[in-house]
Amino acid sequence: MFQGGQKELKETVLDTGLCTGCGACINVCPYQASYRDWTVVLHHCDLAQGRCYACCPRTPADPGSLLPRFYDAADLTPELGAVKGFYIARAADEVVRRGAQHGGTVTTLIALALREGLIDAAVLAGEGDALLPRPVTIREPSAAVRQGKSRFVVSPNVAEFNRTAQGDAERIGIVATPCQAQALAKMRIQPVTASDGGIGKLKLVVGLFCGWALSWPELTSLLGKKTDLTAVTGMDIPPSRYHALEVYTKEGIVRVSLDEVLPCIRESCLSCGDMTAEFSDISVGSARLPEGWEEARLWNQVIVRSERGRELLETARRQGVLEFREVPAGNLEKLKAASLNKKAAAGRSAARRDAGGLKERTG
Amino acid sequence: MNNKPGEDGMSVNGSRKEGAEVLLMGNEAIARGALEAGVRVAAGYPGTPSSEIIETLSRFSETGKLYVEWSTNEKVAMEVAAAASFAGLRSLCVMKQNGVNVASDFLLHLTGSGTRGGMVLVTCDDPGALSSVNEGESRHFARLMEIPLIEPADFGEAKEMTRWAFELSEEIRNVVMVRSVTRMSHASGNVVPGPLPVLKGKAEFICDGPVSDVERGPVISAPVIQKHRLQQEKLRRAVALFETSPFNAYAGPDKPELLIITSSACALYSREAVALLGAEGRAGILKLGTTWPLPPALLKRHLLMAEKVLIVEEVLPFLEDQVKILAAEQAREIGIKTFYGKNDGTLPMVGELNPDLVAEAVGRILGISPPALPAAYREKLQEFAAMVTKREQTFCPGCPHRASFWIIREALQRDRRRGFVCGDIGCYAMAALFQAAGFHTAKTLHAMGSGTGIASGFGKLGPFGMEQPVIAVCGDSTFYHAAIPALINAVHQKADITFIALDNSGTAMTGFQPHPGIAVNAMGETAPRVEIGALCSAMGAPVVCEDPFDLVRTRETLNRLLESPGVKVLILKQSCALSPEKKGKKQFLVQVDEALCRGEDCGCNRLCTRIFRCPGLLWNRERKKAEIDEVICAGCGFCTGICPAGAILSEEAAKS
Repeated sequence: MFQGGQKELKETVLDTGLCTGCGACINVCPYQASYRDWTVVLHHCDLAQGRCYACCPRTPADPGSLLPRFYDAADLTPELGAVKGFYIARAADEVVRRGAQHGGTVTTLIALALREGLIDAAVLAGEGDALLPRPVTIREPSAAVRQGKSRFVVSPNVAEFNRTAQGDAERIGIVATPCQAQALAKMRIQPVTASDGGIGKLKLVVGLFCGWALSWPELTSLLGKKTDLTAVTGMDIPPSRYHALEVYTKEGIVRVSLDEVLPCIRESCLSCGDMTAEFSDISVGSARLPEGWEEARLWNQVIVRSERGRELLETARRQGVLEFREVPAGNLEKLKAASLNKKAAAGRSAARRDAGGLKERTG
Repeated sequence: MNNKPGEDGMSVNGSRKEGAEVLLMGNEAIARGALEAGVRVAAGYPGTPSSEIIETLSRFSETGKLYVEWSTNEKVAMEVAAAASFAGLRSLCVMKQNGVNVASDFLLHLTGSGTRGGMVLVTCDDPGALSSVNEGESRHFARLMEIPLIEPADFGEAKEMTRWAFELSEEIRNVVMVRSVTRMSHASGNVVPGPLPVLKGKAEFICDGPVSDVERGPVISAPVIQKHRLQQEKLRRAVALFETSPFNAYAGPDKPELLIITSSACALYSREAVALLGAEGRAGILKLGTTWPLPPALLKRHLLMAEKVLIVEEVLPFLEDQVKILAAEQAREIGIKTFYGKNDGTLPMVGELNPDLVAEAVGRILGISPPALPAAYREKLQEFAAMVTKREQTFCPGCPHRASFWIIREALQRDRRRGFVCGDIGCYAMAALFQAAGFHTAKTLHAMGSGTGIASGFGKLGPFGMEQPVIAVCGDSTFYHAAIPALINAVHQKADITFIALDNSGTAMTGFQPHPGIAVNAMGETAPRVEIGALCSAMGAPVVCEDPFDLVRTRETLNRLLESPGVKVLILKQSCALSPEKKGKKQFLVQVDEALCRGEDCGCNRLCTRIFRCPGLLWNRERKKAEIDEVICAGCGFCTGICPAGAILSEEAAKS
């Protein structure tokens, strides 16, 4: 077992730029906090072992041995984790779609889970100030619609889960990035202690496809030069041939070349090999369609991973809240290839770190 | 502080006890001496171990015959006292050792101009830095400023010397310095009160004469050469008086093997040491009360008695140097002596002395081993020592400073730029001295007001690559004392600093003396308040006022301020837990819900008793739970907000 406490967490994750900002080490204890896109140590904890280290998605763990604990062996693939089914879907409700980043599938699934009583609370990345998202817990299905946009900057949703789990919610769902889903998986295999964070209340993980997240200070510094940050209404990254980040503002679209955006990627994302949130019940990302981006942006690609995820999707289909279209030939293979690419890049990044790149960051 | 004799003031002031022996604290004896001299104006700035002198005098100000003030700083106190002297009244100014540094610029000019009514400067030094962050020595100022220095060696002398100092001051028309130390000021002894004089004389500053007329001219230090010459002539007059002063006394054999020359509390240690060694027949003690300038004939007479000379004094070799100079000058007559003291390492040049240290030194010179403690006594001592609970120096229960530094710690950690605090002088200096008090935030600590000046300097290092945010903390009394010029500097120079006024409504560390921000003065009269916030606003700095007990809100405010450029002022206002309006009254009844307390488990790891460490929070080792010490908990309720499990419950206490 890989063990350590705050000291090890600080030395190997926080001080080395590996922290994903997921929030797993926050609100389980008073020693760490999330502030302005950073995980900070408030006070010194001298425990040799702690959940902060054990549940961090960047402390050593073997995903190969973790996945079989949660998923059917028959569903496991080396590229995408467990795959029970692969779909192209979107919200049937046009209002939901308008409030969403793409097809509104995540919003629909969360609202449905709340309505059906599968969960009684859902943790999402809410809109904060100046492009810095703020995690929120919602209780009403209708509230999901207001939080449907992608954030591009990490929202410490696991910290919010930890907080909510200490309250009166009994069945909690969460929308999680791959690192957050990984943290929650690590929390699920921790021995239960007297001050257990309430991981048993976790009933649904809707994972998000994620290539990387941007560092908030660097993103705001970049965009601050291009536009008025308070006027930004949303952002998106169209397929790679556009090579741009589209920033939607009240005055129109501002396109920022990826050459400028890529340096703003969080250091920790470069070492991440999980593109599709493999530790979720159901994962959702943007779609690729033969009609092109203008059509594709109205849909989502969905990977069903667990039995619970399958049931939720089928309920959505039965109730007609999600609509589906045929998966174009080769889509799953393309996704597998992209995922494999990310795993390879993460491996190279880790090797670079091991070769000494790490030292430069710790000085 | 509880067994201060004369607390009721009667023994200090009461003329009915005249002639009878009373027990007085050294500082009270000094105050009594000033009263017996007919002092009319007394001014000072609080500072341990000097504060009780002004406090004692302030209790007799209501008669209208005595004006007492706590001045904004020592320099102002000395100026206020000088004015009274210029107007022909007897005046006293009082300060601790480093206060003389603050006053010294004025003192240099004052000793040049001379005084009229008797003016006495009392300084209380703190060898060993028991209540200071320095071991500064005020004795050197007497030589530097060329004024007489006298040092009492017991409590009767403390009173008598102070009384006599006024006479001497009038004799030489200059300031006379009376120097005490912690063990003189804060210990108590027998004093025989003398009569209180009938006060007479009207305050009038006569200044219609020519500059050369010291009686009627303007009081200035120019023409400098003439005035300086006059000052030195007068000083020679003081030396002549010192030659026959009863405050210098020798006790011992006519031809001692060892002559001990000492003064102040060290005279007591020396007597005890010689007695301890049973060396009364071999060592004699010359106790000096007039320590600068030394009377040469008196010294010569005693140096002739012995070949070996030990000088016993605390900290630097001040007496030793002077004695050696005189010995060199008189070498032809007195012969070659062997000197023991600081320079040869016989006695340490730092810290306090005590009878054991002196006995060891005398024993080494005379070849006597100091007697060991009886074994049974030593055993008993160890037994009792083990019973004494180890207590760290820290903020009191309910102290707003603990909350303030907790907030500062969290804000700086959140900020991530490795910011730090420039500390200052007050209870909150403990933030720099003890990490459990300041949570590792305060990293510099120097003179009063220096935190702000240092921060002002740090705040200009941005162009040289400094990215760390800088916080200066400053108590309310320290703000008026010396932080204002530094803060003005920071504003004018556009330094990037966050200035935090830790306003606990009083000079808390030294016993809650009033200051210009309080609506009452030293004599208990209503006084206009000078507002910190208004002053800072007038300087042009944005001012925010928050409650340090409001953790979340104040932390947000501080983080916001840390990120903005220039000088930002944050006033953290919350009265001292020992302030009269709070003492003994709990706002909240606080208790720990054991079922919720996470104790040592991951998820808390004793945050409240391991990190926060308010003395009101206890760790129950058997039950492995935190608990509240109901006796000392001040009921501030701040710890409720830091418990991650919500286990510390606060309930509004019933108003009584």
